Amino acid sequence: MPPALQNPFVQWLVLTAILAAAAYFGMRPELRLRATLYGSFLIACFLAFWPPYGKDDQPGKIKLGLDLRGGIHLVLQVVTDDALNATVDDAVQTARDQATRKGIVFASAQRIDATSFAVEGVEPARVKDMRDLVRDFFRAPDWDIREPAEGRFLVKMTDGYVRRIKDSTVKEAIKTLERRVNQLGVADPVITEYGGRGDQILVQLPGVTDVEQAKRVIKTTAQLALKIVEDSAPSETALLQGHGGKVPDNMEVVQGAGDTAGQPVFYLARKEAVITGRDLKNARAGVDPQTNGPEIQFTLNPQGAEKFKRETGRSIGRRLAIILDNRVESAPVIQSQISDNGRITGRYTAQEADELAKVLRAGALPATLKYQQELTVGASLGRDSIRAGVTAALMGMAFLAIFMLAYYRLSGLNAIVALTANLVILLGAMAYTGATLTLPGIAGVILTIGVGVDTNVLIFERIREELRNGKTVRAAINNGFERVWITILDTHATALIAAAFLFQFGTGPVKGFAVTLVMGLVANIFASYFVSRFLFEWVLGRRQAATLSI
Amino acid sequence: MEILKNPHYDFLGKSKIFVPLSILLTLASLAYMTFHGIRYGVEFQGGTQVIVRFTSPPQIDRIRSVVDKTARGAVIQTYDDPKKNQVVIRLPGGEQEGAELSVQAQGVLAGLARDYAENPVKEFSTEIVGPTVGQELRKKAVQLTMFGLLFQFVYIWFRFGGAAWGAAATIAVFHDVIITLGLMVLCGYEVTLNVIAALLTLVGYSVNDTIVIFDRVRENLRQRRKEPLDKIINDSVNQTLSRTLISSGTTFLTVLGLYLFGGEVLRGFAFAMVVGIIFGTYSTIYIASPIVVWWQGLRKDRRPAARAAL
Repeated sequence: MPPALQNPFVQWLVLTAILAAAAYFGMRPELRLRATLYGSFLIACFLAFWPPYGKDDQPGKIKLGLDLRGGIHLVLQVVTDDALNATVDDAVQTARDQATRKGIVFASAQRIDATSFAVEGVEPARVKDMRDLVRDFFRAPDWDIREPAEGRFLVKMTDGYVRRIKDSTVKEAIKTLERRVNQLGVADPVITEYGGRGDQILVQLPGVTDVEQAKRVIKTTAQLALKIVEDSAPSETALLQGHGGKVPDNMEVVQGAGDTAGQPVFYLARKEAVITGRDLKNARAGVDPQTNGPEIQFTLNPQGAEKFKRETGRSIGRRLAIILDNRVESAPVIQSQISDNGRITGRYTAQEADELAKVLRAGALPATLKYQQELTVGASLGRDSIRAGVTAALMGMAFLAIFMLAYYRLSGLNAIVALTANLVILLGAMAYTGATLTLPGIAGVILTIGVGVDTNVLIFERIREELRNGKTVRAAINNGFERVWITILDTHATALIAAAFLFQFGTGPVKGFAVTLVMGLVANIFASYFVSRFLFEWVLGRRQAATLSI
Repeated sequence: MEILKNPHYDFLGKSKIFVPLSILLTLASLAYMTFHGIRYGVEFQGGTQVIVRFTSPPQIDRIRSVVDKTARGAVIQTYDDPKKNQVVIRLPGGEQEGAELSVQAQGVLAGLARDYAENPVKEFSTEIVGPTVGQELRKKAVQLTMFGLLFQFVYIWFRFGGAAWGAAATIAVFHDVIITLGLMVLCGYEVTLNVIAALLTLVGYSVNDTIVIFDRVRENLRQRRKEPLDKIINDSVNQTLSRTLISSGTTFLTVLGLYLFGGEVLRGFAFAMVVGIIFGTYSTIYIASPIVVWWQGLRKDRRPAARAAL
């Protein structure tokens, strides 16, 4: 025997090929086309999903859901009002600057809510100039300008503009999250828009176990701004005393992380940032050579470096506040002109410094994120679920096989082949489309098995009835299949309608159920109707059979 | 092997008993759910659910004293097979945001690690749902189930060319869903997203069963033009009876397997399917068919316009 033939797999393959060839040439020629089509389709489906789940290093071809393989599932709400506020704040600043530049005197310019601002008390002689200015800078279709009273301008974002900003905020947040998650090194993460409200994001991180770290990396807004400090004091009132009790127009108060003794510190800083997170080229965790504490080192891109060099050159001796997410991390004194790099020191652990560097590299989120839903599944709990689901499926199949054989005798074998074909197509389709198998999805597979048997029962009972009415075997089979065709279409259509509604529950386990159910129903029409019918005709062969084992 | 050979049962005659019985059961279900209240799963209610696997058999009262330090009103129970040393801790959500709940869950786990250190946590799963998400999802579940029923109604109306058929099938399914839900609440099951999935599947499955009978009625109506509708319907139920019983039986046994072996997560889902299939089969035979007869009787037109749309 040639050595290749000693391999049991090859032996099995050769045997199968011989049997297949014998079957092929033994059957009536008009059946051969169908045999080839069905056979190659089933083989293709089988190859698509085999091996279904992998060994340690090799992933299987069926994608498992979070509930089966463990991991994190988060639904986050993007606080889009943040982005709207920021846009209106910018607009107020512009209005203020432009009016001042043109020498127009006005009482105030303030944001009213997330989408509008007002300029009030414009000097009567210059109302027309102010009107021109406002119209020039806040044009339709983005802005809507009204003058409810003489010298008062009400500027509001249009609904379309609001929608555009919200939309781009969510998209930008998704991009930022993608970059951050990439740095966590998670295999096939999912980050997409979620739900119908337009402000939710779904994040799925399969296989991640350190939930807290993942959540920190995702949630940190990471808005970095370096601003020149005008003054600092242990409380807000003390800070404002030297400035007439109110915050000067171009300044803002920012809370500090606390001084070395842990006392609170408040800073009065310039509103306009010297550089922001957008100017960063890179950031990494390092060690402060003086204190040996962890720190974050960053380098700037050319434009950022240009600005930084200019401003630090001008402000030697003053303090520079390093503000992260509206909190002053540190405010070192500028010793000399700095061009393209800097350090952020604070009281960080090495891990915190590392995570901060990661999120700074990935960029800031355009808005705050709020948790709405969080699901974490431990890996071995997931494995338990798989074991239980597969056991239930196998028990179900074994029982059905025994029942069908006992009740329909040899025709029961036909049903078993159809059932197997059904499963092969379902799994193949899932692997091919990359659909995710969840625990309810396994339940969907089990239901598919049930519905598949239902179709076979419908057909077999009809054939029996036809035989009782004195039809020949061939006529009984033909009538049986033809008469139930419409019923099968109707029953599958209604089941598909119900399954279609399940898709509306968005992503997650239930969607996995809907997916397997829909694919299973379609596979079932092919397997339990066409494959089963072919098998009957093949077994019937050329002879005019008097009896049928059913 | 054959269970039934040419059965001739008077199903429609029994409807005098079963229709009132079903009405009673449906009303009882609705009343029970209204007065007793439905216990929703964490995804509908909002709140936190933590499943913890311990190294050795856990002492519930020890765990409770630890958890009470972080959150009041927690429900703590053994989860799944006791041999797995698993405990489920449910914390009520109230109006708290997702982030606060998340902190609370971490607090519970940290507390267990500190105050119950002799029995370390091997692994855990958490599910945290903010209050708005839960409310939205609950609304959606009701809407989707209703839309599912409505679409079935329209489809069957269209396919069988008469509102009677659509109404009969839909009322029967509605009856199945309400009774199943009532029994689930009675047996102390939570209504989770999986249960809703089971109910929607049930809508599809139960209509399935009804359609098989209706299809046979349609076929018989074409061949036996002289006979009264109630006789044709009764004969059709009899002709399809063995199919109805066998396929309901096989599906029933597969979902029973799921109920027994499918694990704790799918328990509620499987229970809904098991109960639903029993009632789905019953309502197909005893509820849907009498409604068609009754509806057509109202219209004095004893011959419904059942025609094949294909």
